Amino acid sequence: MRRVLNWIRRIRDDLAASTDASLLAVPRFLGLLYGPIDHRLPINEALRKALRYRLPAHVTWRHALGGIVYLLFILLVVTGVLLAVYYRPSTQEAYPSVQRIVTDVSFGWLVRDVHVWAASLIVVAALAHMARVFADGVYKPPRETNWLVGVLLLFLLLAFGATGYVLPWDQWAYWTIAELLDAVAVLPVIGPPLARVLTGDVIVSGATLSRHFALHVIVLPWLAFWLLALHFALLRKHGVTPPITPSDRDKPGLPFFPHHLLRSFIVAVLAVAITVSAAAVFPRPVGHAANPYAVPDSLVSTWVPVEVSLGLVRYLTPWGLAAFTALGVALALLPLFDRDPARPLRQRPVAAALGLAFLLGFAGAWVAGRTVRTPSTRMRPASDVLEQRTPRRTEPGAPLPEVGPTPERPAAPAPEAARPPRGVP
Amino acid sequence: MRWCTPVGMAMVTCGLSSASAAWRPATAGQDPGVQVDTSYGCIVCHADKRRAFVVGVHAERGIRCHDCHGGTPTAYETRAAHTRGFIGDPGKVRTVAICSSCHADPNRMRQYGVSTGQLAELRTSRHGQLLLQRGDTAAPTCTDCHDAHTILPPVDARSSVNPVNIPGTCGRCHEDQRLMARYGLPTNQLAEFRRSAHGVALFENRDFAAPTCVGCHGSHGALPPRVTEIANVCGHCHALVGRAFAAGPHAASARAGRLPGCLACHSNHGTERVPPEQLAALCARCHEQNSPAAALAQQVQQEIVRVTEELRVAEVALEELVRSGEPVVDTRFRYQTALTYFRQVAQVQHNLDLEQLSDLTRRAGSIARDIRAVAEARRERRWEHRLFLIPVWFFTLAAVTIAGFKLADLRRRGE
Repeated sequence: MRRVLNWIRRIRDDLAASTDASLLAVPRFLGLLYGPIDHRLPINEALRKALRYRLPAHVTWRHALGGIVYLLFILLVVTGVLLAVYYRPSTQEAYPSVQRIVTDVSFGWLVRDVHVWAASLIVVAALAHMARVFADGVYKPPRETNWLVGVLLLFLLLAFGATGYVLPWDQWAYWTIAELLDAVAVLPVIGPPLARVLTGDVIVSGATLSRHFALHVIVLPWLAFWLLALHFALLRKHGVTPPITPSDRDKPGLPFFPHHLLRSFIVAVLAVAITVSAAAVFPRPVGHAANPYAVPDSLVSTWVPVEVSLGLVRYLTPWGLAAFTALGVALALLPLFDRDPARPLRQRPVAAALGLAFLLGFAGAWVAGRTVRTPSTRMRPASDVLEQRTPRRTEPGAPLPEVGPTPERPAAPAPEAARPPRGVP
Repeated sequence: MRWCTPVGMAMVTCGLSSASAAWRPATAGQDPGVQVDTSYGCIVCHADKRRAFVVGVHAERGIRCHDCHGGTPTAYETRAAHTRGFIGDPGKVRTVAICSSCHADPNRMRQYGVSTGQLAELRTSRHGQLLLQRGDTAAPTCTDCHDAHTILPPVDARSSVNPVNIPGTCGRCHEDQRLMARYGLPTNQLAEFRRSAHGVALFENRDFAAPTCVGCHGSHGALPPRVTEIANVCGHCHALVGRAFAAGPHAASARAGRLPGCLACHSNHGTERVPPEQLAALCARCHEQNSPAAALAQQVQQEIVRVTEELRVAEVALEELVRSGEPVVDTRFRYQTALTYFRQVAQVQHNLDLEQLSDLTRRAGSIARDIRAVAEARRERRWEHRLFLIPVWFFTLAAVTIAGFKLADLRRRGE
């Protein structure tokens, strides 16, 4: 027992004594930092400089939110690549391939559910990160460009989720996407062509699946790569925003290594563990295979923005979705109008009200979207619509309503007059 | 005496042109060369009858007013027109004779593929007996069900004898309490039929294979089946059930008229399906509580209730398998097989062969239990996924603790 305690104490002492030099010892030991490479490229020096970079004293746990978003993005890329190994983007094979991933492939269930959960958590984390940035007034000059890049990254996240949503090709995915594309088509000017391009057919079909898959795994990742690079480059260029209160500016900061890196490590490990736990405990159920001829009795939404959109479309019509999107765009463009250097939230009542309205609207629509459990009646197939147009009895067995111009037909005899006893007392 | 004035003549001409166009409704609209029959005078006064008549099949076949009503259709004046064997309102009995003059004639009906047995059937029916033998004019004649002038084929949704409209057509008289009281008949048949399995199939599912009134009672030969005939009437459609019933212990009683066949357990117009858990109680209405028959009823009920519950659980298990992402093509096929056995149970329970019934419930139950076992195994496998969280959280907490110690140490040393 004493030996074990000594062993643990020794590990603790080693960690306590560790410095950036000891961290660098690992790649040095592996021969990565010496030799011709390090001779030509001053990697050692660059790494040392990066690790010694001092962050301002006000940088705390709140500043880890952006890191979480990036971490979840990496997690999504890794799990997405693994899924792409087994997934087949065709109407015939998509659903069976997802079934195979979650049942046959080793740890396929974990990869798939981590991908699903990370996709939801990243939206929440990104909005929390943006809320922090917004509340601190970080989008003010000179960092307004980086705010706009961040907003573009958020839209990119939403596009990632929307294009990935239909890929399982089950009934829930199919009819949710069909309803949302239907809502998009209602919006003026941009709506119809956008819906047409995204659908690629008169209904959601194999063409839609191919388009969404191509966007999800080829187009959007490249856009995300360049926008992330720009986001980080601008962050390094302008540095971390100084604290709002001037008295904090004189405090000595902390080095990136080991202080902030340790904090980031703790947050990252916890974020991954929470994502994996959610994936293991609450796996995303699989619906029945997509069937364009049968509207399902129930819908199960599995992605936060889809629930928000469904809530808006169902309770406030497509115009609710358009209005909410306009509010989001107004927030995104706020730096172009809000040039006042004052950063405390109390001195920015309009911006604070807009931000609060967006967050409350998002939360409200999310809650409303969770209550949507059935497909819209607009999604009923054409045969049902025809059925509704044919005359229907008001109650079983009641006479069929008249069809055609009624004056041409003899008036239906009244029940009393029609009875046979003509001339019978 | 009414004379046609020049204005009247002009109206007649207009009416004739539209009327002659309507004699050939299939082509008149498109054919500008159609001849206007200006010599047909009935429609001068009876324009309403013309409108009713031209939409029917008789108009399409070239039948005209005088073919049934006689008279002189070339005359425009009432007295002249109503001559030469004119029949105004033929009355109920004569209506049968008029219709039968064509519809009982095979030489005329052969070309249309219409049977000629209606008159013979009518004579055997209760309606025909009342009307033709007793002269009871409260009984219906041909035109009470088919309409006098708008004669539409049964496939036409507007026809009074279209399957969906037949219950309403019969109900026009059979729901009339005052009229039915004269014959001591109930008037709740249509209401019961609407709620029955047959009524739901017909009205809500638009299943035209479902029987209407005429399916069991006959149309022209309408008569309630005799007690000894009921099993045969129902067995006409429910063939397998009927065969099972004929092989069972109740069949002899039914044949002897001591048991009203199927109606002993199911009502006639309501056709109630007996819930499995009420089977024994139903048998107890006739059989004494401690009799062997009551014991057999208990066993049958237990078997059916058990297999019903097992199939319900299997259905839930199947849905659970789908949601877990398991391919279920084979499992669903097996479930359908179990349902097939269950449907055979519904037939076999009518011959009360407990051995055969147990064999079928055992097969259905075995498949249902297999499906449940597959779902449970899958559920366990999914639950085992959570064990993966033990190492995950062990390493997470270890890493967080170590990093936390290091951070605290750095803070303590003031670095």
